Amino acid sequence: MLGRKHEGHIKVDVPPAMDANEAARIAYDQDISLSRHHFVEGEHPVVRIEHLMKTFDGHTQVLRDVNLNVWNGEIVVVLGPSGSGKSTMLRCINLLETPTAGHILIDDDEITGKSAKEVNFIRRDLGMVFQSFNLFPHLTALENVMIGQTKVLKKGKEEARAEAVKQLEAVGLGDRIDYKPPQLSGGQQQRVAIARAVAMHPKVLLFDEPTSALDPELVRDVLAVMRDLALNGDMTMIVVTHEMGFARDVGDRVVFMEGGVVVEQGLPEEVFDHPKNERTAQFLGSIK
Amino acid sequence: MSMLSRRQFVQASAFAAAGLLAGCGSSGGDAAPAADASEYTLVNEGKLTCISNLFFPPFESMNEATGEPEGFDIDVSKSLAEHMGLEVNWLPSQDFDTLVPTIKNGGKADVAIAGMTITDKRKEEVDMSDPYVDSNQSIVVKAGSSETAETLDDASKTIAVQGGTTGADWADENLPNATKKRLSTIIDAMSGVQSGLYDAVVCDLPVSRYQIKMSYSDLEIIEEIPTGEQYGIAVSKDNPGLTAAINAALAEMETDGSMDAIEAEWFGSAL
Amino acid sequence: MGHTATGKRTAVAARIAALAVALMLLVPTSAFALTTNKATARPNEDGGSSVIGGLPTRLTWEGSVEDGEEVTEVTLTLPEGSSFDGSTTKVTVLEGLSRASIDSEVAASGSMLTVSFAEPATSGLLLRLEVEGMHFPDDGGDVVVSGTYVNQAGTQTLTDSKPIKTIANTSLQKMIASLDANPVVAAWNSNPFLGMFFKPQLLVTAFSTLVPGWLLCLVIVVVAYPFAIILGLIFALMKISKSRLLRAIAILYINILRGTPLFLQIYIMFFGLPMMNINIDNNVLGVIVIAINASAYLAEIFRAGIQSIPQGQYEAASSLGMSYFQTMFDIILPQTIRRVIPTVTSDFITSYKDTSLLSSVGVMELMMFAKNLTSVSGNMTPYVAAAIFYLIVTLPLIKAVGIVEERIANSERGGGPRPKDKGAKDMSVAEAEAKLSELAVHASALDDEHAFVPSLSPMNASFGTEV
Repeated sequence: MLGRKHEGHIKVDVPPAMDANEAARIAYDQDISLSRHHFVEGEHPVVRIEHLMKTFDGHTQVLRDVNLNVWNGEIVVVLGPSGSGKSTMLRCINLLETPTAGHILIDDDEITGKSAKEVNFIRRDLGMVFQSFNLFPHLTALENVMIGQTKVLKKGKEEARAEAVKQLEAVGLGDRIDYKPPQLSGGQQQRVAIARAVAMHPKVLLFDEPTSALDPELVRDVLAVMRDLALNGDMTMIVVTHEMGFARDVGDRVVFMEGGVVVEQGLPEEVFDHPKNERTAQFLGSIK
Repeated sequence: MSMLSRRQFVQASAFAAAGLLAGCGSSGGDAAPAADASEYTLVNEGKLTCISNLFFPPFESMNEATGEPEGFDIDVSKSLAEHMGLEVNWLPSQDFDTLVPTIKNGGKADVAIAGMTITDKRKEEVDMSDPYVDSNQSIVVKAGSSETAETLDDASKTIAVQGGTTGADWADENLPNATKKRLSTIIDAMSGVQSGLYDAVVCDLPVSRYQIKMSYSDLEIIEEIPTGEQYGIAVSKDNPGLTAAINAALAEMETDGSMDAIEAEWFGSAL
Repeated sequence: MGHTATGKRTAVAARIAALAVALMLLVPTSAFALTTNKATARPNEDGGSSVIGGLPTRLTWEGSVEDGEEVTEVTLTLPEGSSFDGSTTKVTVLEGLSRASIDSEVAASGSMLTVSFAEPATSGLLLRLEVEGMHFPDDGGDVVVSGTYVNQAGTQTLTDSKPIKTIANTSLQKMIASLDANPVVAAWNSNPFLGMFFKPQLLVTAFSTLVPGWLLCLVIVVVAYPFAIILGLIFALMKISKSRLLRAIAILYINILRGTPLFLQIYIMFFGLPMMNINIDNNVLGVIVIAINASAYLAEIFRAGIQSIPQGQYEAASSLGMSYFQTMFDIILPQTIRRVIPTVTSDFITSYKDTSLLSSVGVMELMMFAKNLTSVSGNMTPYVAAAIFYLIVTLPLIKAVGIVEERIANSERGGGPRPKDKGAKDMSVAEAEAKLSELAVHASALDDEHAFVPSLSPMNASFGTEV
């Protein structure tokens, strides 16, 4: 067990990332009973997290040793009390936080230790929906959804526009495309943010507590859009949330984190109805 | 006379004496105002409050070490105040072209002693004392320059002057084609010529001579312009008693040798 | 007496010779003559440099007495239409640079002025006549001063002066003359306050003569400002950059310029550069000084503006895969610009007003014209007129700043042209809270190595170069 030190970075020995094929085989054997995902013989996880560690200020250890696989098309819901490290893990996946140690592999490609340019390239494949929406307030809903396509994917204006309109219609905002964020409700803003992420066609969509900043009556709309996205597409989603209903109905797998590690994961009904870990049980009890 | 305050009495006695002396002198005619000399007001009781532009050596400047005003006019003011039974009080420097309006408006200072030529224009705004020193104009250029008064009268030439001075008037009238730059101080003008910013300065000859001797050795006077102008002390028109008192004191300074002593100190000999 | 007989005889001979020559002088071609050195007139155009006919001015005439002459009287004659009536004449006789005391009497009537000396002015003396309050002909034109003088041999003709250029009375001057004659104006001016600060004649003069100075002020600041904005932006980006060297340069530049008075910067540039043999046109130099000075303030405004953009904006742009420059130019700066418009406008107003300092180094801007006019008139009214010229520009801008500020505040509250959604207002409160908590989280997430520059946080966390 790693203890806290008062100064300097914590030095840890993390083994090198496993060989892709071997890792995939082990993950397959381990995860097949933990997820509703339709596993296919020989497939590799799209996200592989091995021994992920994150320390702030050199001594505040937020992630201790996170190991997790996410499969193509899988919906993974991450639960846990605040401070458990679930948001930090999500932010590490698209490198908004720089991992202190460990490995993150997307499609078997290591993404840690890359240059700024490579990081920007990797991030195209990792869409993110934020708790506070983070729409660009000087741009209309349409322009918010277009800008990543035109600037990053270098798509033509018309093509980007068509895609943006399609995605905005998909989230039920076809009539709001020329509104600027301040003129939209929080729920509408978050739906625009989802459309913005989806329009980039990332390999993985990351949701960082997407409904926590919303009033209860607006949460439903956003969850409906996410549900729709999960059930009707082949999108891979990692969702950090407190919405138990969503986790139980939509999640292929529920992951429970505490103290910077994954303490329990499994099929939603298993975790909710028969939690193996005492902390999980306590947490779920307090939520109910 | 019984109504006089102690201060006024002292002054009255001083000017009675001054009037006597003036009466003895050859100037004549001016003795009469001495009778009014007791009737004047001062901004600060017992003090002769003076203003000037303190960047006009050797007439007035600020001592580099102490920041106190010094110069010919400062010594004149001290002697003047002494002769009038007053203390002298110098206010901070202000731009030359604000001196006449300040004195005219009153309330701030009693007199402007500033190497100020007596002109009819100025006399429209304020009273000027009798002349206390003669002056002339000069054109100053960079040493070795081939400029003359003729070549300077050209649109391509820039003449620096101090705003509101007779030098500025002279340049306007005699170098009509040149571009004139009116600056706040003569120091700025000379520095500008030194650095090549301006082609020439027109200013009072005693000032240019002194400045070239003391600090601007790379400048030279190409023309000494006899204008025969005379410096006087500016006093508000509302205070004729003060003008009279000053004239009386100036006359006394001429006779008792104080003026000669001051001239000797600042110009090497009595003028 | 040290003179020998021969000496005496020579002197007598000389005197006879002189007499003979003097006699010859009665004939038009004169062998010697009182030399007219010059005749000039003081410009009497308020705030201008022309000599206007029909208005009082001062004629200065100088002549040198030649060898052997003894001048007792000088008469100046001006063309028809000129008038010496009501003038006062100052007669100065100079020997070299010293005043000689020769009493004189002056008689002036019509276009003739006669000065008679109590004792003859002898050779080498300079006669200087300053005639204050005389008029040239109304129609203007080149005026030649001619005349006669009397020496020991009789009346001689003066050589004509070089012509004095005069112009016809302008409508502006006529207007001022009519104001001069107006009793209401006279009553107004008799009030010390109104007469000193709001003299109608001077207001009229100032409004017409200050225009070029006002335009120069505007040109200087309008030309300087785009450069100031570009420079300011460059230094703002340098100040928040990750390079320690760039930051140091920016901090040095900004602090030196903000920490010293503009007045001093002007002096250094205007007097210092020419000493290094760098000669730049005064107006261009004015533009440069104003631009450089404003750029330091703008750099700080832009830096504060950039750093006021929430962290989430950087993260959102990063999560889309946008590069540093794309994030800066497409996301952060457009929002920054909207936020800083009021502050930048205020700074523009400051720069506009600061152009007045350029008058101290001879740039012919508004303040310079006002100072000139004041120094000529001894009256404060030109400064009041200058104040009005400054306010013409600054008041509308101040008003505009207020409107823009309100509009920005409005749009950030969620107002705007189409506020249909009732929930919008409540949501923006939630949003604000979310942003706050997010910022707090971020602050605690700062890396050790950057703790010494907390302001750098937006860049470091979102662009993982130090991975």
